[in-house]
Amino acid sequence: MSLKSYSRARAVHVMLVYTGGCNGCDIEIVNCILSPKFDAEQYKVFLTWNPREADVLVVTGPVTKHNEKPLKEIYKAIPEPKAVVAAGACALMGGVYKNIHGEIPSEEIAGPVEEVIPVAAKVPGCAVRPEDVLSGVVAALPLLLNAK
Amino acid sequence: MNDDNKINNNKSTKETIIETEVAMGVVHPAALEPYRVRLFVEDEIVKDAEITIGVNHRGIERIMEGLPVEKANSLTEKVCGICSNSHIWNSVMVAEKGLGIEVPDRAQYIRVIMGELERLHSHFLYLAHGNEVLGHETFSMRLFYIRETVMELLRMIGGNRVQYGAPIIGGVRPRCELNSKRIQKIKEGMDFVEEKAINFADRFVSDPMIMSRITGVGVISRKDALRLAASGPTLRATGVARDLRTDMECYDPFDFDVITQDDGDVKSNLLVRVLEIFESVKIIRQALKDLPEGRITNRSWEMADTPIIKSYIEVPRGTLYHSYRIEEGRTRNVIIRTPSMSNIGAMEHACIGNHITDAQLAIVQCDPCFTCTDRAIKIIEL
Ligand code: SF4
Repeated sequence: MSLKSYSRARAVHVMLVYTGGCNGCDIEIVNCILSPKFDAEQYKVFLTWNPREADVLVVTGPVTKHNEKPLKEIYKAIPEPKAVVAAGACALMGGVYKNIHGEIPSEEIAGPVEEVIPVAAKVPGCAVRPEDVLSGVVAALPLLLNAK
Repeated sequence: MNDDNKINNNKSTKETIIETEVAMGVVHPAALEPYRVRLFVEDEIVKDAEITIGVNHRGIERIMEGLPVEKANSLTEKVCGICSNSHIWNSVMVAEKGLGIEVPDRAQYIRVIMGELERLHSHFLYLAHGNEVLGHETFSMRLFYIRETVMELLRMIGGNRVQYGAPIIGGVRPRCELNSKRIQKIKEGMDFVEEKAINFADRFVSDPMIMSRITGVGVISRKDALRLAASGPTLRATGVARDLRTDMECYDPFDFDVITQDDGDVKSNLLVRVLEIFESVKIIRQALKDLPEGRITNRSWEMADTPIIKSYIEVPRGTLYHSYRIEEGRTRNVIIRTPSMSNIGAMEHACIGNHITDAQLAIVQCDPCFTCTDRAIKIIEL
């Protein structure tokens, strides 16, 4: 075990990026890490807002065209190894915003997240349940810990 | 170049040079949602501020264009994840007004209960977020803890922690019927919330550190608030007793006070919300006590074409506006205006004259929700 993965096993930093969802997923995720009921901090999962500190990137929302570039920049700024968790129906397949047009492509939405940056774990739900977010982040952890 | 200068000259007659500009966003640690703030700073004092939104625009109104009315209504829920019930409520009210549908009393009561539960969770979220920005994590945790009770109640009634909207055209969803067990649960929840909120409020106002940090910061005067068309608790914090709930028909049976504070600073804003929590608890208790018997949906109505119908309601953050017309059972010309939209002016104004470290606080005091605010607008000077 390298020093990095040793330290990572003891503190996982999660960064949350909003890319144009409705705020529902975002609050549930903040809620699940901060609020005393779910309290992910007791499992050594911390919320950070600095990409250079982050290990896991949680993305919510369907990625609007304006948000595409900032999202890529943030992804680039996170040090290797990294994992991306897409949370919510919007992040998985564009949600109602992308698909209700049917065949006509939406002019506002560049997503889903998968088409912009590589995704390691997907958490379904509209909005996601905090329990599911936790299991999503946990599922992405082996990627980080086993990396050289 | 020349054109640029012209535009600038038109804007400000006296040219001022401000040395430093601090820009944050689109994604910034302190601001949870994507928006952009530019602060113009001189000697660490904010001289001017500018908030730009637009990165979140998803074009909901355009998606709603031409959808069947029922479908369009449930889509409005997705405008905002905090006040989803209010959006669907107002959207349904537009259709009901246009088609002349009568809503059973029991359904109105359930709608009010849902609306007030939503106000509770939104205000708790606001207070928790505000305290986090203040740097007081313990309060923030406590508030999240109280909020959890409300979220569980919402899940029990609506079936989901977020996106629990109850109204449908002519009443509420059958799932949201309140049986005696649910009523009992809500009553217990309200007792818990009230007790904890009183404890919090006592502790909060008696904390000298917090009080000295928030008194006199981010002041919006009454005149400015009216000029900038602030709405909701932000306006009430400046001493204007304007609450659309007093005009809404479904709130007629209930007895509640419109809370106001005088100063328009962060303290007043926080206290207005704290006190409104108790009013909401009061309304929910009254509604549960005299919940009328009867059906919860009126299904005897027919679709027809309507002209453009407008509807305003009071939601946790202020005044929400929806309008559309119905053509062959489909929605046309949809317009939604969320309360944060009209509060943006107040947010910018509140930053001015404060120390730069207080600017974020001054923005947060107006309870911004930018994800729902991103829509195309045109401001007309009157
Ligand atoms: S998945 Fe649902 S709750 Fe989450 S951001 Fe999208 S619309 Fe909102």
